[in-house]
Amino acid sequence: MESHTKGGGRMSGHGAHVENGIWMRAVMMGGIFLTIGILLFSVLGVAMADGKHETWEQLEDDYHHQEVVLAAQDNISEHDQKELKHLHHEVEQAHLSYLSYRVSGITILLMSIAYASFIGVGGFLNASKPNADDDHGDDHGDDYGGDHHGSASPIIFAFGIMLFLAGFPDFAIACKAMLNSSVTADLGMLTLSLVGLLTIVIAVSNWWWEDLPFNGDGEQIATSYPFEGEHIRKAGLWVFIMSEIMVFATFFSSYLRMRTEWCTDWAIRDGVEACKDVPEGTVVTASDLLRYDFATLLPGAINTFALIISSYTIVLALKTARNANWEAPSGFMGKLMPTRKQAIRNYLIATLMLGSLFIVLKLVEWSHLVAEGFDIGTVQGSIFYIATGAHGLHVFIGLLVMLYLVFKADTVGFDEDNAQGIEYFGLYWHFVDLAWVVIFPAFYLY
Amino acid sequence: MGEHVEFMGKDIYFWNFIVLMFFTLFEVGAVFFEKVPGTEIKITKMTVWIILIVVGIVKGFGIAAFFMHLKDDPRIYTRTALFPVLFVILMLWGIGLSNPAGVTELPSWCTPNWDYAETR
Repeated sequence: MESHTKGGGRMSGHGAHVENGIWMRAVMMGGIFLTIGILLFSVLGVAMADGKHETWEQLEDDYHHQEVVLAAQDNISEHDQKELKHLHHEVEQAHLSYLSYRVSGITILLMSIAYASFIGVGGFLNASKPNADDDHGDDHGDDYGGDHHGSASPIIFAFGIMLFLAGFPDFAIACKAMLNSSVTADLGMLTLSLVGLLTIVIAVSNWWWEDLPFNGDGEQIATSYPFEGEHIRKAGLWVFIMSEIMVFATFFSSYLRMRTEWCTDWAIRDGVEACKDVPEGTVVTASDLLRYDFATLLPGAINTFALIISSYTIVLALKTARNANWEAPSGFMGKLMPTRKQAIRNYLIATLMLGSLFIVLKLVEWSHLVAEGFDIGTVQGSIFYIATGAHGLHVFIGLLVMLYLVFKADTVGFDEDNAQGIEYFGLYWHFVDLAWVVIFPAFYLY
Repeated sequence: MGEHVEFMGKDIYFWNFIVLMFFTLFEVGAVFFEKVPGTEIKITKMTVWIILIVVGIVKGFGIAAFFMHLKDDPRIYTRTALFPVLFVILMLWGIGLSNPAGVTELPSWCTPNWDYAETR
């Protein structure tokens, strides 16, 4: 695709002068995330989870004691049986309650470590670049002068992903070994995977370094069919989304192919002819465990609302950035958002928090399903965890990108000239929401 | 862009957000309740199917058209987004044919000539 640049032909990612030292604020941001993560882990994952664990153990002891007492009796009354069943239900609820706090605490800690590493290491690398202050806004000292010559960061990033995935099986085993002492880590391809991770971080931090001073000057415009006159980055993002639609379509069609054949309890009760001789409970899907009880349906429902609200907050961030005549709202919102710059940043922080909530609730929900015996070992479990996991991974990657947007909104700032960053990221984020619009009813409700 | 179109003092993004929230509540409710609240009318599997598909289409349209700006952007973006639908339809067709019910339950125009295969 041929292209030229808007605004004097300067390269994309250049424009405003940015002090190199500003990147130290990214390191500070990483520190803040880590502190919040450790605090929340201590409260939710340790203090509250321990309390819940004690309750669970106490109830379990009571249940076993009651079981022994009843086993010694010749005649067990209906009332006693009901009582025992009720106690068993309470034990299960206490276990799930313990899991909720423990898993949410651990998830928040791990996410904060990931956030801190990503933004902190990226910021540190950029802050320590030699003579970087002098290079920003010029032609990088090469021979291209004012002509656009693109960025090498995406290809380095792709190379890093290739290395990381090549060693991924051993990386996964090493992660498992950290959690389970009976598993031994194999260092074979682990080194390759770690080199891949390092390459990814370097590529991403370099990408940020190029993008941070971008003030809208130098946006590449396509000059040939079919995207003639359109921003190349936007066209590229839509092509990327097109490929993502195919990825999720394969998950969905695999699920649909299998689902139409499964004799679920619902199909049996609904009198489906092919399932008339199949006993109930033969095929259990995630939706069978989730949809009938308010408490089990709640995390998925909250997640759906969280994603929709986050889609709205990022639209508000974009709308605010594009509005040169923005005025601070009155009342409480005015105190939260006294300036346009702070308003954009706070909308992005709200999006980040809602996305993080999504990941936490997703893992809490998974822990509940695994505790109830619905694991990845069955066909129903496999397609459920792969599809919802792939979606969760997309949300998480989006959150890592959002960290940078929050950083940029807090430092250089967005306005009507450089709001493309929010717009293009918003397209990805809305797509993730759109994918959930299909996944949620298919896997949770149907 | 959508922020310039206003209805009752609020922009299109706000109303799109409200519609998305309402329809999400509606689809969760449709599945959660086995009977229509306050009545003895049973919500069948087929009814849930229809509700989920219709709500999914409405929500998908709301997100793509207004939040992703496809309604105002040049048509080439809509075409790009819809291009994979061709493959999705092919996959769904494949699902129909490879399902046991695909032999007898699907309309004749989208199945091979099974009668010919049986009488050959």
